[in-house]
Amino acid sequence: MTTDTLLDIPPPAPATDTIKPVSTWQLRRWPETRDTSIPAWIYSDPSLFAREMEVFYDGPGWSFVGLECEVDLPGAFKRSWIGQRPVIMVHGEDGAINVLENRCAHRGSMLCWENKGVVKDFTCPYHHWNYDLQGNLLGLPFFRGAMGKGGMPRDFQKSEHGLRKLRVATLGGIVWATFSDQAPSLEDYLGEEIHGLVWRATGSGKKKLRLLGYNRQLLPCNWKLYLENSRDPYHATLLHSFFLTFGLLRTDTAFKAVPTIGGRHAIMASTYSAATAGQQNEVTKQLASLKTDFTLEDMEVVKPVDEMGDSSMINFSVLPSVFFQQHGNSLALRHLIPKSVSETELSWTHYGFVNDDEDMNRRRLKQANLMGPAGYVAIDDSEVLAKMQPVAESAPESVQVVTMGGTGHVPQDTMLTETLIRGFYSYYREKMGL
Amino acid sequence: MTAWHCASALENVWEGAPLAVMVDGQAVALYRFGDQVHAVGDLCPHQKDVKLSDGYLDGETIECPMHQSCFSVKTGKVQSPPAREDIPVFKVRIEDGNVMVEV
Repeated sequence: MTTDTLLDIPPPAPATDTIKPVSTWQLRRWPETRDTSIPAWIYSDPSLFAREMEVFYDGPGWSFVGLECEVDLPGAFKRSWIGQRPVIMVHGEDGAINVLENRCAHRGSMLCWENKGVVKDFTCPYHHWNYDLQGNLLGLPFFRGAMGKGGMPRDFQKSEHGLRKLRVATLGGIVWATFSDQAPSLEDYLGEEIHGLVWRATGSGKKKLRLLGYNRQLLPCNWKLYLENSRDPYHATLLHSFFLTFGLLRTDTAFKAVPTIGGRHAIMASTYSAATAGQQNEVTKQLASLKTDFTLEDMEVVKPVDEMGDSSMINFSVLPSVFFQQHGNSLALRHLIPKSVSETELSWTHYGFVNDDEDMNRRRLKQANLMGPAGYVAIDDSEVLAKMQPVAESAPESVQVVTMGGTGHVPQDTMLTETLIRGFYSYYREKMGL
Repeated sequence: MTAWHCASALENVWEGAPLAVMVDGQAVALYRFGDQVHAVGDLCPHQKDVKLSDGYLDGETIECPMHQSCFSVKTGKVQSPPAREDIPVFKVRIEDGNVMVEV
């Protein structure tokens, strides 16, 4: 009699061409009213999440990594993420910025554990394998063994065991990277409109970015709930009473909601007048969430100056991972980092420009209080999405409706539209085959 | 300030095998070539926690066992990364069958 029950288990049947493994997401069906419905299972199915990471983060797109000014001398590095995969952005000795997968080529452990710093090379904590700033393997302990024992085989080539090096592109001082050889150029991936807006948001080639600081928060929700939220102008004056109360966003001002490249990216542009900022009008006064008697000790928090010279606040969402924020004079990049099907990290990088004067710098820092985990405005989104995720998980077959402003996904000149969300899901379904 | 110290008896220093010694609190490695002995610093300047004398000696080149940086044991010159700095070279003289090193 044997106690080793493993021996009694028959070997698996050989794979055949007729049987292919199926993930549960492939059995899902989008509701029939495709363009205006969103099924709740997209927020809770782990197999679908795994496929999304392959399609949108490993696939042929470009992801935000960081700012060039964060790594402004040789050896300066910053950790970042592309989807769930950790990467290192590092300024090489030749001046080029490298983006390397933060995964030791030996056993796949995390190589770099610090968020920022300056190094001459990288050494893995696990077995001390050592890499240069371009990811080349320089050395490993006991290469020749010790006392004549152990060591690597004679045919082991260090040159074949470097870190995974990503394709890198920079635009306006912002660093992007992709794991994919198939991705088009960054310019083509962004498209003309987004390319122009990145240029505008980063000083139109006339200014250099300056790092102001960071916020980070863990949102207990699926990454798409946040992505939708950042493409949803309809909620802005309803959920965010702060916007209304201080006249920062008004339903009566000119507004444009523009999906680009079939819904891949999304632009929300509003105009404002420095003269009316801080005031309310008759339309907004009728909204129940408006508190007309509120004021702030320091009204500079809600009084931006028109720094771009076009009286516009333009916010845009670039699939898969970044949202460019311009709220008043608060400029920031919101980096979306999915952690699991129900958890998403949101990492905020606040920036200004090298030549900002003291007044502008103060304004940016004050107005940044609207954003971030405890921001006067942004805290509302975190709270709503945290409450939304468990409801979505509790009823995966339930369906949401997104018909505000019609059923298509054309550009519209109103905030009262869900055209950007419809556009995103049109693009999403095409890429996911749903 | 430098001074001469007895590092080892010459007969204990063998050709083809580094000898690790401590001289006035410093880790030093002795390398013998015929009647001559060379003394160089024994800690790899890369991470400063590994003895080069535990590495692989090929002619006049010692290879660090940790990350394979190579150094000339005669001139102290670094020959390959990740180390970027040379190792110190010490003066040697043979006196009454002893290896004297100036540290």
